[in-house]
Amino acid sequence: MIKIKDLEKYYKTEELQTIALNKLSFEVKQGEFIAVMGPSGCGKSTLLNILGMLDDSDGGSFIFNGEEVINYNERKRASIRKHNIGFVFQSFNLIDQLTVFENVELPLIYTGVKKAERKKKVEAVLEKMQIMHRRKHFPQQLSGGQQQRVAVARAVVNDPKLILADEPTGNLDSSNGNEVMELLTELNDQGTTIIMVTHSEHDAKYSHRIIRMLDGQKVTENSLV
Amino acid sequence: MIRNYFKIAWRNLKKNKVYSFINIFGLSVGMTACFLIFSYVNFELSYDNFHLKKDRIFRVVADIKTPTETINGKGPSWAVPPHITEFPEVAAAVRVLSDIILFKKDNLTFNETESLWADADFFTVFDYKLLKGNPLTVLKEPFSIVLSETSAKKYFGDNDPIGQTILITDDAFPSTVTGIMEDIPVNSQIQGDVVISMTTITKKFAEGVNDQWGNYGPFAYLLLKPDTNAKHLESKFPAFLEKWSGKEMNKSQMFPTLLLEPLKDVYLKSDRGGFVTGNIKNVYVFSIVAMLILLIACMNFINLTTARSSERAKEVGIRKVVGAAKSQLARQFIGESVLICLIAFLLTLVVTSLLLPSFNQLAGKTISQGIFEIPLYILLLFLAATGIGLLAGIYPALILSSFKPTTVLKGRFTTGAKGNFLRKGLVISQFTISIALIIGTIVVYSQMSYMNNRDLGFKKDQILVLDTNSDKNRDVLKQATSSLSNIKNASLSSSVPGTGNLIAYSEIENIKGDLQVANLDLYFVDFDYISLFNIQLAAGRPFSREFKTDTTQAMVLNEAAVKMFGYSSPEQAIGKRFKQWGHEGKIIGVIKDFHFQSLKKPIKPLSMRINPDRGDYLSINISTSNLASTMAAVENQWEKIIPNKPFSYYFLDEFFGRQYKSEEQFGKLFLNFALLAIFLSCLGLLGLASYTTIQRTKEIGIRKIMGASVSSILNLLSRDFLKLVAISFFVATPVSWFFMQEWLMDFAYRTTVSWWVFLAAGVMAMLIALITVGFQAIKVAISNPVDALRTE
Repeated sequence: MIKIKDLEKYYKTEELQTIALNKLSFEVKQGEFIAVMGPSGCGKSTLLNILGMLDDSDGGSFIFNGEEVINYNERKRASIRKHNIGFVFQSFNLIDQLTVFENVELPLIYTGVKKAERKKKVEAVLEKMQIMHRRKHFPQQLSGGQQQRVAVARAVVNDPKLILADEPTGNLDSSNGNEVMELLTELNDQGTTIIMVTHSEHDAKYSHRIIRMLDGQKVTENSLV
Repeated sequence: MIRNYFKIAWRNLKKNKVYSFINIFGLSVGMTACFLIFSYVNFELSYDNFHLKKDRIFRVVADIKTPTETINGKGPSWAVPPHITEFPEVAAAVRVLSDIILFKKDNLTFNETESLWADADFFTVFDYKLLKGNPLTVLKEPFSIVLSETSAKKYFGDNDPIGQTILITDDAFPSTVTGIMEDIPVNSQIQGDVVISMTTITKKFAEGVNDQWGNYGPFAYLLLKPDTNAKHLESKFPAFLEKWSGKEMNKSQMFPTLLLEPLKDVYLKSDRGGFVTGNIKNVYVFSIVAMLILLIACMNFINLTTARSSERAKEVGIRKVVGAAKSQLARQFIGESVLICLIAFLLTLVVTSLLLPSFNQLAGKTISQGIFEIPLYILLLFLAATGIGLLAGIYPALILSSFKPTTVLKGRFTTGAKGNFLRKGLVISQFTISIALIIGTIVVYSQMSYMNNRDLGFKKDQILVLDTNSDKNRDVLKQATSSLSNIKNASLSSSVPGTGNLIAYSEIENIKGDLQVANLDLYFVDFDYISLFNIQLAAGRPFSREFKTDTTQAMVLNEAAVKMFGYSSPEQAIGKRFKQWGHEGKIIGVIKDFHFQSLKKPIKPLSMRINPDRGDYLSINISTSNLASTMAAVENQWEKIIPNKPFSYYFLDEFFGRQYKSEEQFGKLFLNFALLAIFLSCLGLLGLASYTTIQRTKEIGIRKIMGASVSSILNLLSRDFLKLVAISFFVATPVSWFFMQEWLMDFAYRTTVSWWVFLAAGVMAMLIALITVGFQAIKVAISNPVDALRTE
């Protein structure tokens, strides 16, 4: 599903250039659950941003679903993103002024789904995440675990082929964290590809394969299955 | 999707009440000012638009060249209109003369101050609607009267006035009401409550006036046939005048040139005056001011929205991540600003309708219901509000929608230096406008005070002027009033300062000994006039009862006149010969120049003669003690001596000041809009200051822990803003200096704009800004630093 080769990314300031990704290559197959680990600043998040087409790279190749997307402009990338990729963040990133229902509904609005259909889909996914009873609440009125469940619901409401999770349990206590990991595993079981950046060895154990990075390069890759 | 945007916008408005208030309130204040000015400008531009044939109607005016000057006359001579119809291009010619005429109906007596004499075609050329009567014939016969609806009610109540008799003038000529017209609309340059047939004058009062080519007085309007080229017609007038009055022109040495002014231009653009006149300059000035105020309000909006963009950054990031395109986001934010503008618009409609009456008062006339009368205007204003929303929203929308989700979601977001630059620019523009308006206001007011306080060269205080309207008993009244206690003396004259005066064809012996022809302004006075008005003598002597010849053969000139005839000192003019309107004699005295006209005009050469037959005005030098009882005594005398006329009086100082009414109104409007501009600018500054202070809460906390004093923090927070105000000051000063010099050029006597005006405006703006920012800064500076750090 994803094939990257010699991916490069630099951050430049006036005086120095930092290499975030240094000729990184790996492949992800449909239905895989990958954990990306490494110390702070090793390039994990940069990688995730490029994979999520939120950021562009400075060289190399990025094939998504058999399509070379490395040179796509923002509009094309946005179009691929909204139909194929869901995001889960460490800090949840819900819109404070929207209710739970409206937050989850958002991706459907941008992909042009009809209203009645949206209602059905949102309610189904909220039911699945067991936060239906909270659908009229605003994010500030929820606990961290509940907020992350909403975020996951939002990530999956569009039935994406790929979920990118950036330390999804980083702001949660262990029981809430485990709950979220169970959710992701369940989604993976139903066929969704997941790439997750994490610091937690515990969380990494839920994955099929762990890619360890250092200074923008892949150090090891070990399969857990 | 739109519902989603609307929800977000609405919830944002509710969440940030202070900013929402500043945005909506600021915008609606700006819009209200703009709408009010719009209705004022619209009203000024609407003058005479209701005449269906307005494109074919022209006012005839004459530039009269005399040996000494060219007079820009308001109308042609009496003979021109009746003869000018010989041109096939002219469909009709109408003379209109305004007058004050005494009306009597049974026991009702009124001095109709807005009376018109008009030729028979008045109601066919102009579209003043007749409710009763035939427009072709109502003004045909002598002693025909058309009453306005209001005046008809006044005299006849609910009875039918048609065919009824009213006695007009002091001599009580019976006249017949032939028509009733709708009250003349306010936006008409011709104003009058009653119209009397011109044939009354031409056939009864002054037979032969239709052939007087050198006698000026009425206004005249021509209706041209369709497709007539006015310029071409104008070029035929010299030959026409030559044919009819060539000999007379040579004899009188007055050579008129006839010019045609399009009716539409007369009210706003003609500088010759008229019944009522507007000023195209004011229209321009206020249009610009309105735009500037709206601009300030929009700048506030842009400023606050971009300054607070970091708060919306997360939302932008999330929306982008879940699939929003940049254009969708831009549309969302523009939509939000349109929503805010529309809320402001609704508020504006309410506020405007509440303010309209006081604005009418401020503008000095009833701008009718203005925008609310015509639904089209509301629609236009609605579109304008939407447009403002679009314009003000575009920049913030572009900024917001271009945020990169990767940066904003990581919390690495900072408002860029670029945005700061823009915000600073906007604050500078706002304060430049405000300071310029403050300077303008100060200049207008100091000119007003200059005019009110300048020594006019005559006594204008404690002088009561009675308008006897040339009553035959005026001399008796003078004797009776001057013998009252608390009254020092009284004087009858044809004019008092500010009323306007006669202009006489005169011949005066000049320095070379020749009789030099001149059109001199003329006051007919009596023996008490010069002493009553305390007019100073420069040479010779004033009129005196001891010299029998003074009544017919003496003239007094002012210094300006003496100079015109070439004398270098007033003494040289004494004893020189004069000829004027059939009288000959010697110059017996020279008075110092006094301002017998408004200070807008230079002092013209003036002559004075004794003429007991021309004493319209009775001036009474009254002591202020027991004013009420003195007034009552004067009125009592009036009722006894001139019982058939209503008591009409005014105080000279007030009357003279009335000439500056339009300037006073201009100043008042200017002041109000300057206040508004500075208020809006401060509102924006307040928002911006409170925002930056919040942003710097942590910095301030740390500084305080490190030992910074309250004053140093105050200084830190205010310095940046005050710098901007200082820059504005340096931009505003030259601009406003230039424009105010230009404005002052309209006044022959003007105040000098001294440096302190600018300094005062600058200091004022600085203080206001300091208070605005300081209010926020103090709040933070005295707060507990621990709290500040905890919020992070």
